[in-house]
Amino acid sequence: MKFYVCIKMVPDVNAPLQIKDGQLIQDSDRQILNAYDASAVEEALVLKEAHGGEVEVVCIGSSKASETIRKALAMGADKATHILTSGDEEYDSGSYAKILAKFFEDKSYDVLSLGKQSQDTDAGLTGSMVAELLDLPYATNAVGLEAEKDKLIVRRQGDTGQEMLELPTPCAVTCSNDMNEPRIPNLKGIMASKRKPMEQVELSALGLNEDELTAKTTVLRYEEKPEREAGKKFEGEPDEIAKEVAQLLDTEANVI
Amino acid sequence: MSTILTHIAIADGKIKRSSLEVLSHCKQLAEQGGHSVEAVVIDANASSFVEGIQKYGASKVYVVEDPIFKNHMNTPLLKALSNVMETANPSVFAFASTEGTKDILGALAANQDAAVLPDVSSFELTEGGVKAKRPVMAAKIISNTEAKGDKVIVSVRSGSYDLVENETSAEVVKVDFSMDEGELKATLKEIISASGDTIDLNEAEAIVAAGRGVKDEEGQKLISELAEVLNAGIGASRALTEAGVYDPSLQIGQTGKVVSPQLYIAVGISGAIQHVAGMANSKVIVAINKDADAPIFEIADYGLVGDLYKVLPPFIEELKKIKS
Repeated sequence: MKFYVCIKMVPDVNAPLQIKDGQLIQDSDRQILNAYDASAVEEALVLKEAHGGEVEVVCIGSSKASETIRKALAMGADKATHILTSGDEEYDSGSYAKILAKFFEDKSYDVLSLGKQSQDTDAGLTGSMVAELLDLPYATNAVGLEAEKDKLIVRRQGDTGQEMLELPTPCAVTCSNDMNEPRIPNLKGIMASKRKPMEQVELSALGLNEDELTAKTTVLRYEEKPEREAGKKFEGEPDEIAKEVAQLLDTEANVI
Repeated sequence: MSTILTHIAIADGKIKRSSLEVLSHCKQLAEQGGHSVEAVVIDANASSFVEGIQKYGASKVYVVEDPIFKNHMNTPLLKALSNVMETANPSVFAFASTEGTKDILGALAANQDAAVLPDVSSFELTEGGVKAKRPVMAAKIISNTEAKGDKVIVSVRSGSYDLVENETSAEVVKVDFSMDEGELKATLKEIISASGDTIDLNEAEAIVAAGRGVKDEEGQKLISELAEVLNAGIGASRALTEAGVYDPSLQIGQTGKVVSPQLYIAVGISGAIQHVAGMANSKVIVAINKDADAPIFEIADYGLVGDLYKVLPPFIEELKKIKS
């Protein structure tokens, strides 16, 4: 099977951050491979190892994103396309979906795979947008994939249970990080990644006009989340503190 | 005057409370701005829910009834939603943010060339669009985001708004729907349901959540007992769903469900940011952990420092006494 996996460079949500005049400022400019995308890469590699095929990653981003792409190549992806942007454009999920749809328009593949959401914005829109724009059958929030001839079997997490879906290829799927534990690239993988083909395509070369890509949503400003104050801590004899808190939940918090 | 349309989700033969929360909020926005509020229900037995929807103030209810909607599948749902959106022509189309919604939200926006604000904790109407607050960066900060355009789709986190009854007699509009097998694209082979009568975490008034500290069957038994006393849903941290101890649908956190019950009891959960992202909006948080420095205590209203195996039995006993 031929897999295209769309990956994204994201800020590390675990790194300290501040807000200044409504702007988000991160103490370090450390950027990482979106964890959900890493799971999508991993699953494509597992299926390739079992059934043969090819895994190509596609990333939209500034020149800085090449580090993120190298990481996916070091994990074992065969090649990469980097759709190069200036990095200061203000796109939203809809803009990115249009870029990807345009890129895939004339490509042939069996599975187009993406992370189910991006760690920084948690929007989770791009996958189903791309599928709709390309008129592909799709499934989101996949927790397991199996490849069969001309078919992708997807186990997805729904509201109350898991759904087993059979999608004819070509199809699109978005992956949960509950699917697998993405491999950490080893030294051999890292060395090999440097020789793997990485094609750079200027965004402007895709032939989209700027109007089409104008974001329909804009971040006006960021603000601190109203702090939740730490309440009361109870230490001591388990019997006593258990009884005390149970009673407080009834009389003080009024939630029993 | 424009139209605010609300999607009413159905689960296990009932209207999801989170959908009615969204409808209550839309009704309020409509009254403030002189707009009309309408609803759409898509289900195998859709017409049976009209009465329940009228209670919350929709002036028109679009009913799409077809056996195909017995189980969630994105292709027919998307087709029905697109049809209704074109008929109702709403300036805002609001959803409760369920897994079912997440599955189609982007596709619907692409199909209708609409702006979309997913998973918001609040939203209001502006001149020419919608302004919303969205938790981002693992819900550590809030992004104030604006969508411009004459078609804006919004999905709202459960627990963001209170239910407000507002009995209205609604005009019922039946929408024809048909779909050939061939149009279906994907085939639903099987549904692997979580154990029978578990309480839907998005709807639960109280949740007992188990973390890594719950080490064995004895611990799980205590969790079940506590949940039973409180009529609470059981949730779990990623550590325990990954280990297969609890069903993946019970996972609470950035990756799993985002919940906001009246009472959240975190048992043996340290409080990693990914978990906190899924429960920090709970009204009252109780934490039980033997590590006094566990980050969960920073957000807990009541923190019990102690071994859960020693704290839970007397805690359960006392709650039983209070309840009886």
